[in-house]
Amino acid sequence: MKEKIKIFLDSDLLEKYLLGTTNQQETLQVERYIVMYPVVRETYDELQDNLETFAKMHALKTPEGLKEKILARIKSEHLGRRKFFRYAIAASFAAVMFASASYFLWDQNQSLQQENTIVNNKIETLEQDMKQRLEDVRDQFIVLNSPQTRRFNVKGNNNAKDLKAVAYINPVKKLSFINVKNLPNLPNDQSFQMWADVNGKMINLGIIDRSAGKDKLLALPYADNAVSYITIEPKGGNSTPTVENIVAKINY
Amino acid sequence: MSTLLEKHIVELLEERNDKAISLLYEHYGDTLYGVAKKVVRDEELAQDVLQESFVKIWKKSDSYDASKAKLFTWLFRITRNTAIDKLRSVNTKTDREIQMDVSDVYNLGVDSIRPEFMDVRENLDKIESKYQIVLEALFFEGMTQQEASDELNIPLGTIKSRLKIGLRELKKIYGTSMLLALVLNLM
Repeated sequence: MKEKIKIFLDSDLLEKYLLGTTNQQETLQVERYIVMYPVVRETYDELQDNLETFAKMHALKTPEGLKEKILARIKSEHLGRRKFFRYAIAASFAAVMFASASYFLWDQNQSLQQENTIVNNKIETLEQDMKQRLEDVRDQFIVLNSPQTRRFNVKGNNNAKDLKAVAYINPVKKLSFINVKNLPNLPNDQSFQMWADVNGKMINLGIIDRSAGKDKLLALPYADNAVSYITIEPKGGNSTPTVENIVAKINY
Repeated sequence: MSTLLEKHIVELLEERNDKAISLLYEHYGDTLYGVAKKVVRDEELAQDVLQESFVKIWKKSDSYDASKAKLFTWLFRITRNTAIDKLRSVNTKTDREIQMDVSDVYNLGVDSIRPEFMDVRENLDKIESKYQIVLEALFFEGMTQQEASDELNIPLGTIKSRLKIGLRELKKIYGTSMLLALVLNLM
């Protein structure tokens, strides 16, 4: 062990370390020796003292004004650093603002996109709806204007004497409509329902809604020799017509 | 240098109080200026070096570790390395070699007479110049022992032994001057 320390002290590693010229590996080695061996520590301290003495022997009076120059430079460095921190704080604040603004805008964008999809869907539905209605109106126009259209006046039977309706049938265009002009009053738990017997199949055409207006034309499915019925059914409609409650019958 | 003052300066440095630099300059300025001058051999350059060194000391103050080096050792390392870098940036090696021959004679200028260093100066002359040259080459010139051996035409083994003996001689002076200072203080 002593031999190892002697070899170490005989090398110039400690002197190099004193001057700060050792490389990283050498530095680690020297520092380890200093911590581990008191002799090395002592020698190192002695070297430090010697260096200070030796350097002091070469002391020279510093020129006038140099101290002030140095202090001014240190102050500006210090200020620069403070300025840097101030800028850093401002920059972080700006970054936080930017991040939150970005998030806010992103969120806005996201909900606007959703809204946009909904609106687009609505427009599409509306468009389809409009097309459908336009087609209906066109069909109605054709039916009402066509010379081939036959017009039937429909009257209710004894169960519904006030029922008046007009049916328009066009065998060429294969279109038919009914316009229910007048409906007798029914108890609150009953409603009129329309049916069509097309090629032996009974089709539910729905409840006749009085609030829809007097001039509303209701499309009837067309078939040769079809029969339409109006029945009185419980409120909300029935899935099959109640035969004994037939109040009107339209043959076309 | 009293360790108490050293401690105080280190504390100020840790607090990033620029009063530390003022104190450092007062207590080590002349010595560090001497070191810088010794390395660069030019007053103007030495002033630049001292200025840059103090800026480095201020900037790197959080890297100072009192358990690894005395304050002066740390200051010396920074100043010496700054001076050597400066010299390398302005001088070619050949220029330096020529200058070395002229200025190896220690010159005591009028403005460099300071009473507090007078006795150590006188003592310095007591160290034989062959040790002084080796010490200076190693401490100030930025030479490794091998480089000093090549530069001064002295075998490496002799460099090593002269360094050791030179330092021992130095210790004698250091010891007596410290004792003298102590006696003077007590009186």
